Amino acid sequence: MELTGLFFYAVSLLILGGIYAILCLALNVQWGMGGLFNAGIAGFYGVGAYTSAILTTSASSKHLGGFGLPVPLGLVGAAILAGLAGWAVARICVRLKSDYLAMASIGIAEILRLVIVNESWLTNGSLGLSRIPRPLADLTTGRMGDIVFLGFVWFVVLLVYLAASRLHDSPWGRSLRAIRDNEASAAAAGKNVEKFRIQTFVIGCAIMGIAGALSAHYFRFLSPTATDPLLVTFLVWVMLMAGGSGNNKGAILGALTIWTLWSVTEIFTNRLPPEWATRSSFIRMLLVGLLLQVVLQRFRSGLLPEKSPPVKFRQE
Amino acid sequence: MKKLTTFMAAAALLGSGTAALADDTKIGILMDITGPIANFIPPLQNAADLAVKQVNEQGGLLGGSAVAVYGDTTGTAQGAVDAAQKLVNVENVPIIMGSLMSGTTIAAAEAAIIPAGVPQISPTATSPAMTFLEDNGLVFRIVPSDNYQGEILAKMVMDEGIKKVALTYVNNDYGVGIGETFIDAYTEAGGEIVAEAKHEEKKDSYRSELASLAKGDAEALVVIAYAGDSGGKIVRQAIEGGLFTKFVGTDGLRDELLIQNVGADALKTSFFSSPTSPAENPAQKALHDAFNAAYGEGADKAFVDQTYDATFLALLAIEKAGSTDRAKIAEALKEVAMAPGEKVGPGEWAKAIALIKEGKDIDYEGASGSAEFDENGDVGGYIGKFVVDGDGYKQVEIVE
Repeated sequence: MELTGLFFYAVSLLILGGIYAILCLALNVQWGMGGLFNAGIAGFYGVGAYTSAILTTSASSKHLGGFGLPVPLGLVGAAILAGLAGWAVARICVRLKSDYLAMASIGIAEILRLVIVNESWLTNGSLGLSRIPRPLADLTTGRMGDIVFLGFVWFVVLLVYLAASRLHDSPWGRSLRAIRDNEASAAAAGKNVEKFRIQTFVIGCAIMGIAGALSAHYFRFLSPTATDPLLVTFLVWVMLMAGGSGNNKGAILGALTIWTLWSVTEIFTNRLPPEWATRSSFIRMLLVGLLLQVVLQRFRSGLLPEKSPPVKFRQE
Repeated sequence: MKKLTTFMAAAALLGSGTAALADDTKIGILMDITGPIANFIPPLQNAADLAVKQVNEQGGLLGGSAVAVYGDTTGTAQGAVDAAQKLVNVENVPIIMGSLMSGTTIAAAEAAIIPAGVPQISPTATSPAMTFLEDNGLVFRIVPSDNYQGEILAKMVMDEGIKKVALTYVNNDYGVGIGETFIDAYTEAGGEIVAEAKHEEKKDSYRSELASLAKGDAEALVVIAYAGDSGGKIVRQAIEGGLFTKFVGTDGLRDELLIQNVGADALKTSFFSSPTSPAENPAQKALHDAFNAAYGEGADKAFVDQTYDATFLALLAIEKAGSTDRAKIAEALKEVAMAPGEKVGPGEWAKAIALIKEGKDIDYEGASGSAEFDENGDVGGYIGKFVVDGDGYKQVEIVE
C-alpha cells in the first residue's frame, strides 16, 4: 500500500461521495423539508445522466447526439429535463399521501428505466453511451484528471448546498415545514399546499438530475447498469436517515460517512482467510447492513439532527 | 477504550494482509459477485482460483506466490468503479482480470483502470463499444465482440448465394449488437435487406411483424433471437403462415428446442452460425479434468473456460514481464497470448516458466481459443456453420 495509491483512492471516494452528497441534498429538499416520500430517485438520476451524456457527446450513429455541448451546459440541460420529468410526475402523484407516493414513484422510476433500455435511437439501449467527455479534460492526463474532476464535483456540491441552505432558511422553507408537520393548519393559514409540494418535488428532481449528469461524466460510459435502485435510491435514503433528515450539513455528512463505510468494508473483507474468499462479498453486504443498523439505532434523528433556523426580524 | 480496541483490531487485520506476505504478487480479479448475475459467479471464482492455485503449486509467480484479490462490482457502474479504484490504488495490483458484464467492465476501465495505467483483460464482455475504447493498448478481452458474429453471419449468407433477406432481431444487447453489424456487413457486401423488424421478447404472437417482413421478395428470413423465446415462435409462426421456408439463425436459435417445435423437415434448407471451438481441443479437456478434480463438478458451466484462460494469461503476463511494472505487463500479455512461440496449455505453468527462463517466446492455447489479439485488444474466434441433422445439429464448416 503506497501513499499515492491511498491518495487516489481517497480522491475516488470523495468524487462518488460528492455525487451522493448532491443526491442526499436533493432528497433532503423533498423529504427532509417537504415530507415527500420519493422512492424513485434512480429514475430522475437516470434522466439527468442520459440528458447530459447525449448533450455533450460528439456525433454517433448509435444514438441521438452530436450536440457536443460543454459539460456545464449538459448539467443545466440535465437539471431542466429531470425537473420537467419531476413536474409531470408531481402533477399526477403529488396529492398522494406519503406511502402511496412512494409506491407511485417506484413505478415511475421503473418506467423511466424501461424507456432508457428500449428507446435505443435515443440512448443506444443496453449497449450504452461511450466517450462521454469530462469537464476541463484538456488540462491533465491519466489519474491527475480525477483531481480536477474532484474539484468540479465539490464546486457543484457547494453551489447546491448554498441553494439548499437558502431554501431552508427562507420563508418558503418555513411554509414547507409547516405543511410537512401539519398540513391542515398550513392550509388554514392560507398556504397553497399542492403548489408548494409541486415546487418541492421539481426542485429535488432537478438536483437529482445534476447528480446523475455528474456520474455520467465521471464514468465516461453510461449504460442502464448505472441506474440500479439499490445503489441509487435505497442507499441515498439510508444516507439521509443516517446523516440527519432535514439538515443540509447532515445530508452531506451522511453521504460521505455511508459511502466510505460501503466502500472501505471491502478492503477488510478481502483480508479474510482464503477459504472465506468466495463468501467475502456477501459478508461485506451483511457487515454494511449491521453497521447501518447500529447507526440508525444509536442516532435516531441522524448524526446531525434537524434544527429550525432562527427567526430573523428585519431591524426597524 | 472499546473504540481503541476496535481500531487496533482493524489495523492488525489490515496489517496482516500486507506485512506477512512480502513476496506475494497480487492479481486483481473484478467480478459481478453480488447483483443480477450472482448465480453465474461461484464456478467462475473457482476457475480463477484454480489458475492461481496451479501457479502456486508449480513454482509460484516471480519467485513468490500469487494471490488473487477480488473486487465486487455489485453489478452496477458505481460499484464497478469503486471496486476497481480499490484494486488499482489500495491493493496496487499490476493487472486486472474482469469483469464479466460489459456495462461494469467499461465503466471500471474508463473511470479507474485506464487512467491508472493498469492492463485489464475481460473474459466475457462482448459489447462492441469495447473495441473503440481509448485505452492506450491496455484493455483486452478473450471473447469475440458481438460484431464479429454479425460479420461472419453476413459472409455466410452471401457465400450461400442469398442476395435478398428479411431481418428480425430481438431488442436486447445480444440481438441489437449482432443485428446492426449484420446490416452493415451484408449491405456492404452487396446484399439487400428488403425488410427489417426489431421485436420485443416474451410476446405470444409475432404475426404482425412477420406480415410486414414477408412483403418484400426475400429469399430467407434472418432471425437473431433465442429459440426458447421469440426466435422459436417467429420461426413456427412463419412456417404456419407459409411466409418463409428458409431461415438463417445465430447461436441463440441453434437449439434442439427449435427442432422439437417445428420439426426437422421444415428446417432442411436453413442454417445457423454459432461460436465453436476448433474441432479437436485438448486444452479444454485438460482444464475440465483439472477443474472437476479440484471442485467435483461445474467445469461445463458458462464462461468457466474464458475466466480460467483470462486469469492464466494475466499470470503469464506478470511472469513474462519479470516485474510488476504495469506497462511492461501490457506488452507481455500480447507476447504470451499470441503466436509465434512454444505452445502452452491450461495448467502447464511449470513448463511456461521454464520456457520464460530460457528466454523463449510462449503462446498460450486456452480452453476457449487461442486468444490472438488484434490492435484493439479484441479476439476473433471460431464461428461454425451448422445445419439440422436428425434431432440435432451438424457442423459443416468453420469460419475463422
